[in-house]
Amino acid sequence: MSRILWRSSLRHLLRHPWQIGLSILGIALGVAVVISIDLANQSAQRAFELSTETIAGRATHQITGGSAGVPEELYVQLRVEAGVRPIAPIVEGDVAAPAYPGRAFHILGVDPFAEGPFRSYLTGLEADDGGLVLLLTHPNTALLSSETAAQLGLRAGDSIEIRVGTARRSLLLAGLLHPADEISRRALESLIITDIATAQELFDTPGRLSRIDLIIPEGSAGDALLEQVRALLPAGVELERAAARSQAIEQMTRAFSLNLMALSLLALIVGIFLIYNTMTFSVIQRRTLIGTLRALGVTRREIFTLVLSEALIIGLIGTGAGLLLGIMLGRGMVRLVTQTINDLYFVLSLQELTIAPLVLLKGLLLGLGATLVAALVPAFEATSTPPRAVLTRSTIESRLRWLVPRAALGGVLLALAATVMLLVPSKSLWLGFGALWALLFGFALLTPAATVLLMRLLRPVMGRLFGVLGRMSARGVVVALSRTAIAIAALMIAVSVTVGVGIMIGSFRQTVVRWLDSSLQADVYVSPPSLVSSRSDAPLDPALVQRLSTAPGVKSASTYRGIIVNSPYGPTQLIALELDNPRRDAECDAAACHTSAFTFKEGEPQEIWPAFFEAGAAIISEPYAYRHNLHAGSRIRLGTDRGEREFSVAGVFYDYGSDQGVVMISRQTYEQLWDDRAISSLVIYAEEGVDVDALVESLRVLAGPEHDVLIRSNKALREASLEVFDRTFAITAVLRLLATLVAFVGVLSALMALQLERARELGVLRANGLTPRQVWGLVTSQTGLMGLVAGLLSIPVGIVMALVLIYIINKRSFGWTLQMELSPGILLQALLLALLAAILAGIYPAIKMARTSPALALREE
Amino acid sequence: MTSIQPQNNGTGPLIELRGLSKAYQEGERERVVLHSADATISRGEFVVLLGRSGSGKSTLLNLISGIDLPTAGDVVIAGTSITRLSEQQRTLFRRRHIGFIFQFFNLIPTLTVEENLLLPLELNGRVSAAERQAALSLLEQVGLGDRAQSFPDRLSGGEQQRVAIARALAHDPLLLLADEPTGNLDAETGRQVLDLLDRLTRQAGKTLMMVTHSSEVISMADRVYTIQDGRLVERLMEVAP
Repeated sequence: MSRILWRSSLRHLLRHPWQIGLSILGIALGVAVVISIDLANQSAQRAFELSTETIAGRATHQITGGSAGVPEELYVQLRVEAGVRPIAPIVEGDVAAPAYPGRAFHILGVDPFAEGPFRSYLTGLEADDGGLVLLLTHPNTALLSSETAAQLGLRAGDSIEIRVGTARRSLLLAGLLHPADEISRRALESLIITDIATAQELFDTPGRLSRIDLIIPEGSAGDALLEQVRALLPAGVELERAAARSQAIEQMTRAFSLNLMALSLLALIVGIFLIYNTMTFSVIQRRTLIGTLRALGVTRREIFTLVLSEALIIGLIGTGAGLLLGIMLGRGMVRLVTQTINDLYFVLSLQELTIAPLVLLKGLLLGLGATLVAALVPAFEATSTPPRAVLTRSTIESRLRWLVPRAALGGVLLALAATVMLLVPSKSLWLGFGALWALLFGFALLTPAATVLLMRLLRPVMGRLFGVLGRMSARGVVVALSRTAIAIAALMIAVSVTVGVGIMIGSFRQTVVRWLDSSLQADVYVSPPSLVSSRSDAPLDPALVQRLSTAPGVKSASTYRGIIVNSPYGPTQLIALELDNPRRDAECDAAACHTSAFTFKEGEPQEIWPAFFEAGAAIISEPYAYRHNLHAGSRIRLGTDRGEREFSVAGVFYDYGSDQGVVMISRQTYEQLWDDRAISSLVIYAEEGVDVDALVESLRVLAGPEHDVLIRSNKALREASLEVFDRTFAITAVLRLLATLVAFVGVLSALMALQLERARELGVLRANGLTPRQVWGLVTSQTGLMGLVAGLLSIPVGIVMALVLIYIINKRSFGWTLQMELSPGILLQALLLALLAAILAGIYPAIKMARTSPALALREE
Repeated sequence: MTSIQPQNNGTGPLIELRGLSKAYQEGERERVVLHSADATISRGEFVVLLGRSGSGKSTLLNLISGIDLPTAGDVVIAGTSITRLSEQQRTLFRRRHIGFIFQFFNLIPTLTVEENLLLPLELNGRVSAAERQAALSLLEQVGLGDRAQSFPDRLSGGEQQRVAIARALAHDPLLLLADEPTGNLDAETGRQVLDLLDRLTRQAGKTLMMVTHSSEVISMADRVYTIQDGRLVERLMEVAP
């Protein structure tokens, strides 16, 4: 193509810096949001992979046990008697370091002599001045990476205080590990290495191992070895592939990551509107020029290439800026993502953002792809410009008005298609999000028609209120529909996202509040401080349990024991429920008081409880049932210390504590099948008339300073639970805000374009006696009307979006049933937000137009 | 990209209109703008097309340049039936063999005067040094040699139209089509522009077809056509005694 044409095109871009600048900003913000979320997700995933790789090393298989782990004798038997090599014992667990808030560590208890083939970072250790000897010969000694030690201000010979469950312990740093490469460095970031005996003492598991690592070769020799090992395993101990466990854990966060990704894409969709808007405007603005070029012999293909290339330049700069912005934003997002993973799923220590080149490449393609998609329609539009010198704006507008009913029809069809997609009985999240996006695009296509209708209704009202200028501003919105409709649609989408997500979070919170009201019925809750808020599996000291449950003022207490067990569905959270001291008073009949804390979705309480307490049946939470297609009456298999056992499901209960779901059995059933006698948490009922806050204080005194234990009143636990809830949605709020920001940029850009295009018309009005103030009023009332239309349309669209989020997306992601709560406040907020955004965006163009001399405006064209 | 070459290079009439009709659909009814027009125009002729506003003059120019297609009939330019060409071929034909002058000048605002001038040449391929020199000498001939680096918005209307004339001639077309080239200029400037256009086209031996309202032009023309009620009629020229 002609160089002169390129030059002309580039100069056109440079002559409209604000138009291009806003477009670049829009696409940059869109890309930045997507990239930041992707980087944060990937960093979390990479950190998780690194930590599992670090811990699993080159092990191909692992021998794991139930609640109490694997007996140490099994290791000896395999190594010495059966001669299985390479083989290594591991005792591990997560601990907190109270002196360094926010940091969690993973204790890895190893046998340094068996480690060689498994984990390379221990091999360089012997050179390190006697650290290894100290580790093996002295109790309570540990190794830390030199970098982590430097971060914490520690040196070899110093002590580090850790909290294991409720107990505080101190470890002496026997030496420092010097990782040889970047991977080992990051792998060792949150690892504390001890010998087996120290780890067993720390976790109070004498004679037990967390697991035994094996390297089994592929092929028939390996298969034979596996058979030999399996034959030696006692009941309740299993041999599995090393990758299987980490994959299962990684699955847990998949829906969470996907939801964030989908939400972040909404910001990019709003960005697409922006590019579409800019390119359409740039084509309309140059209609005469394009007509002239066509008359001079420039082909359609050349015009198409020209427009698309311009878009690509904008897209490239915007995407580049977006990638940089995304990395910066990612540093903040990664904290929010890690926090949520720690609150909901597992302990993940993440100190820095991993900038994966693949993510950046994806961002680049996404940004450019979005730009191209957005520019395709205007580029085609430009090629259809007839090669004539004079093509009036009214031709374009009348063409658009011809398009309005057709776009509306397309919108209705798209919405219908989305509805069909939603009705398909599937658990696919992608299908759900696909339907959601189709719905949003469908509604966007309906926007021009809705705008025309609403303006028809508003015109007489505006006329009555503001006279001819009022009528003009309403008419102006329809006359320039090619510009206004896109701006309104972009704003409508962004505000409806705010409405939809707002209603979803509000409904979710209200459901959780109601659930907490019904499930938190005791007065005081005692649990060890947990590294994962939704779960506590560290045990309470039995003596402490005894002391607290018989304290003065305590009427009765029941206990929970939470462990992770193997099952054909992957790692499953099992809770053993004990109602030893059921509250007996006038209102409470036997177990009814405690058990009324459960609301059942499936099954009748009067049948469930006898089966649960007397016949060894299990009850499962709603997410667990949803995830694994289980119902009351189904049978589930769980790995116990006596081998795999089958349980009948007596009922399905509502539970919003964990999206992975839980299985509950009675303590009696638990003790029959598991050797573990520990207690994870204690629920206390106060005597009649006892002040709960005073009781909490006295129980804290009774627990003594040697136990780090959380003793919380009903109210405090409720508040803590809601705090976790709010923290979980903090990232969603950030995303909502960013999508709105992109939309604001879009509206500003559209309004600037619109008003500058009307410069001549306004110049004529000024020449005919319209004062600057009246021009200001005209422009502002028009932008206000656009905001009003966007706000009004965003309400039904937002509600539909909320319905999809609550009943489809959320259900498919997490398996929860939420009750929709529609607060008029959110709807009013949406209307105000749209109005405010539009009016704010209209201020600058209004001032600019009011200040422009009519002579100048008339001369331009 | 190859341009379409004229079939009768240098011989025969330049433009032949054969039963050319054009009708537009306006709602339910059809409006006939041009009804079975026939005409033959030779090389080097200066033809003026008169008619009231909306009579179909510009439509005829659009049909001749291949911008628009007739409802019936044929346009043959230098032996090539352009109505039988594809859109792409018509564009390439126009790019190579036709020069356009518009009422509103339609210079490209983002290009300098020189770049505007070179645009048709560039569209046809790389510009040789000789072609570039010829184009710049055209700019001298229209009296704007010193404004080569100016952008169009720095020029007066008359100056812009002079650049447009130079641009229309720059790529040495067979045919020049001018759509009311003085319509947007004052009388004096209009006269100057007409003189320039007449001089340059005759000097280069080009065929010029001009749509105008100005009776002044009639005296300069070789032939005059009018469009009345959709019919193309040749007005006989009064021969000076």
